[in-house]
Amino acid sequence: MGYTLAEKILARVSEKAGVRAGDEVLAKPDFVIAYDFPGYTDVIFKQMEEDFGIDKVAEPDRYALFIDHMVPATTTQEEELHQLTRDWGEKNKVPVYERKGIGHQVAAELGYATPGAFVVHFDGHISQLGTFGTLAIGVRRHLLEAFVKERIKFKVPETTRIDLTGTLQRGVTARDVFHHIVRVLGPRGCRGQVMELGGDTIDNMSLEGRQSINCLAMFTGAITALMNPDQKALDYMKPRQRLDIEPLFSDPDCTYAARHEIDVGALEPIVVVPPSPADTRNLSEVTGTEVQVGYLGSCASGRVEDLEIAADVLEGHKVKDGFQLNVIPTSKEIMEVAAERGIITRLINAGAFISSSSCDYCFGRMGVMRAGQRAVSTGTLNVRGRMGSPDSEIYIVNAAAVAASAIEGRIADPRPYLKD
Amino acid sequence: MALDNLKGRVAWIFEQEDFDVDQIVGVKNIKIKDPVELGKLAMRAEDPEFADKVRPGDLLIGNHNFGYGHPHYPPMIGMRQLGIGGVIAESFSPGYWRGEIAMGFPQVECTGILAAVSRWDEIEIDWASSTFHNHTTGATLPVEPLSDGDRLMLEAGGLVGYLHARDKEERIA
Repeated sequence: MGYTLAEKILARVSEKAGVRAGDEVLAKPDFVIAYDFPGYTDVIFKQMEEDFGIDKVAEPDRYALFIDHMVPATTTQEEELHQLTRDWGEKNKVPVYERKGIGHQVAAELGYATPGAFVVHFDGHISQLGTFGTLAIGVRRHLLEAFVKERIKFKVPETTRIDLTGTLQRGVTARDVFHHIVRVLGPRGCRGQVMELGGDTIDNMSLEGRQSINCLAMFTGAITALMNPDQKALDYMKPRQRLDIEPLFSDPDCTYAARHEIDVGALEPIVVVPPSPADTRNLSEVTGTEVQVGYLGSCASGRVEDLEIAADVLEGHKVKDGFQLNVIPTSKEIMEVAAERGIITRLINAGAFISSSSCDYCFGRMGVMRAGQRAVSTGTLNVRGRMGSPDSEIYIVNAAAVAASAIEGRIADPRPYLKD
Repeated sequence: MALDNLKGRVAWIFEQEDFDVDQIVGVKNIKIKDPVELGKLAMRAEDPEFADKVRPGDLLIGNHNFGYGHPHYPPMIGMRQLGIGGVIAESFSPGYWRGEIAMGFPQVECTGILAAVSRWDEIEIDWASSTFHNHTTGATLPVEPLSDGDRLMLEAGGLVGYLHARDKEERIA
């Protein structure tokens, strides 16, 4: 009987001939990644030294640090935290990537998403590296284990397979596909498992769209997402990848915990209604609701195709007076491409406020709402207080719907704006 | 080293599926760090006398996928401050589970738990036999055994203790 992709990767990094879901292994992560954040990296650095007497990590190339939250710093404490990270990186010879964009995206650009590799981070949105056949897990505080030990104790997860079929209509994006999966399977549909996606919808989807879906795996209860890397994924990663290993794939006769087939051909734009990341509905149920703020960005959405479809919607229109449309490309590389293609100029002309890449608009550090305000957002999350006051509201929609809502000042369907 | 059985009263039953633990102290208070203050805030919106009623060792009961959403640490820091000894739920959200196990906070999955308890029942988790006992009603249920990693972590009181234990083990080996 065959193995799943997750089983194969964990067998490789625990140096075993074969492991099965449920086995507990001591796995050596190929890469250990973190962004600096109070309570995480500063605590890890301190614990390494004070509790374990570790002065330097043994294999610095296995580690990567990102400075993407609190960029730019607005308080001296934030800048001090960043300096602590830079100093630790320099002492340990560990690379610190700063002002390059949101780390989960930049980690792919920099080749940490080597197909077949095992990556750990404390943050679960690292799951998006699964786009390239990389098993990437957010282990929260357990990340300390990967800084202190060469190997981490890890239980091999089961895998649920989801095949997506059908061609998406214009104005419906990968973002809608993901939330539709949550709607169909429920918020615990893949609980504790790997969500493995495939099917003709995925085959025909851009890498950006796949990253968007895989980024959000946690809201199905999954511990991460994986896709068997196709030629498109392998070609993107080939010149970038950091390890010379063979890509791995699920065997056709592997054992899945469950299999689902979901047809997305008739899918309409969706909305995730506050305050639950699982309350997914058709956008049409809330169109007309007044909104004052729009956020287009995050590690889930804010890539070239998101910016482009927003620019297409806004073509010939203006952001409504008084509406705050914040557009933050996911990385510097993405911003450069969007600038070269004239997308940034089109967004500016329509009235968007553009910032350089940062995580800060997603978690309520920038672009903050007061009580009573309402946002349409492509951020990762809509829980209360995520973007400011606990008495503000966040409606998660796709990038095109953020743009359409910015024109009308009300939650709006983007499709009428996209008719050629 | 064996884990002590969890033994106490049912301090609260969270009936909502996919429960977002941030609601325990309220999203407005999620940035508070002081355990004493968090203890006072815990469940205050639902039961203003919660902090006074709870005794050390008391336990929380959850429904399916307990801890879903974007869980923060302060709610359970507050609960531990009050002496809450652990959580028994139908099932847990994996990110929340990992975070709290790393803090050395006992949690256990038990299918059917919700129907098997009322508030203030005297209950117990027997780790050795992986059994839930309701001493008030006499009901028993099997519980999901802990993985080796999780058991070692709870025995060591959390992540740092667990890593020290592994240090010792590796030195002997």
